[in-house]
Amino acid sequence: MKKTFKWRWGVHRWIVLALIILNVIAVNKYSPVQPHIQVAAENIMAKPLFTLPVIGDFYLTNALLATLFMYIVIILVALAIRNSVKKDPLAPKGIGGIFEMLVDAIYNMTETTAGKFTPKIFPWFMTILIVLLFANLMKLIPGFESIGLLHHAEEGYEIQALGNGTWSTLLNQKTTTGGYQLIPFLRGVSTDLNFTTALALIAVFMIQVIGVQANGPRYFEKFINVRNIFKKPLFGVIDFIVGLLELISEFAKILSFTFRLFGNMFSGMVLLAVIGVLLPVFMPSGLMLFEIFIGVIQALVFGMLTMVFMAQAAQGHEAEEGHE
Amino acid sequence: MSGDIVMAAKMIGAGLAMIGALGGGIGVGLSVQGAVQGMARNPDTYGNLLSSMILGIAFSEAIAIYCLVIAFLMLFVM
Repeated sequence: MKKTFKWRWGVHRWIVLALIILNVIAVNKYSPVQPHIQVAAENIMAKPLFTLPVIGDFYLTNALLATLFMYIVIILVALAIRNSVKKDPLAPKGIGGIFEMLVDAIYNMTETTAGKFTPKIFPWFMTILIVLLFANLMKLIPGFESIGLLHHAEEGYEIQALGNGTWSTLLNQKTTTGGYQLIPFLRGVSTDLNFTTALALIAVFMIQVIGVQANGPRYFEKFINVRNIFKKPLFGVIDFIVGLLELISEFAKILSFTFRLFGNMFSGMVLLAVIGVLLPVFMPSGLMLFEIFIGVIQALVFGMLTMVFMAQAAQGHEAEEGHE
Repeated sequence: MSGDIVMAAKMIGAGLAMIGALGGGIGVGLSVQGAVQGMARNPDTYGNLLSSMILGIAFSEAIAIYCLVIAFLMLFVM
């Protein structure tokens, strides 16, 4: 029996209306506070976790905690997919079906660009895509950047106890003497520069590895090009300089990967925080929708650029020889 | 006094840094223009053009994002 999906618009409408009314009431009772915005991830514990001799102290930051949380969620989703595929290997239902569709679409996309190198390149694309999808969409969880520890600050806000005093809330009254600021437990994973730098380093390193696997040591001729320098002196020198530019562009890739993802997600966080203070009713929901769109697009773009660069590194040399 | 001047300089610097977003905006507009014209001439290429367009937009948007990162670093670091 095939069940048709019934759109419950009649019920959903009232839920949305109730949430809007709740939003207005909540905003009037506890007006939103502009959070302290900081580029580096905040430390949750005052003492460092461990200390390495040369590098320095390692702190437990809220972005690190969010990363751990993200990996747990990914593992749980993977187990759910395994169950769903085991139950019905030919046509998995539910989450297995969704991911089958996703993997199929991404595989086809990789195949049109990478050709015969698809089996090698596809896993990198898919891994980066899934990690970034979960990283960017995790801010949909309620209380993600709003529940945390209070700590004293020079320019802080007054607090009010909730219930028996274990939990408190910030009030929208600035004090210069002994106010409080909030450090959230979880912070968006991609709004930490360390995470995006690590991902960009992995991606660019693996681009070189795939280039070497496909072309052998001749891959490095792309960077230090001395093939034509004696045969055709003028064009040989130009080729050599172009090779050096290629070398620089490899390092520029790391920077552009890092700052594209970080800038998009961090600006989204700041935008939500500022709009939440200026116009707390209804507008943050619309912006949150836009942020979901940005998060998905950035995950896709990071993965797709990695895939395109890998495909170029793997087959660039052959294409060049084909022209000659 | 000097702290206020530094603060004002930070604000002005962040504002000036965002001028660079001009180029990113022009780039995004041009790439979308080209893609939409191509789609209008030949609607079958919609899927191909869309993915290339998003890739191109991400490249040119990155320039504007660098400006934004510089502005954020001026405003929120230290």
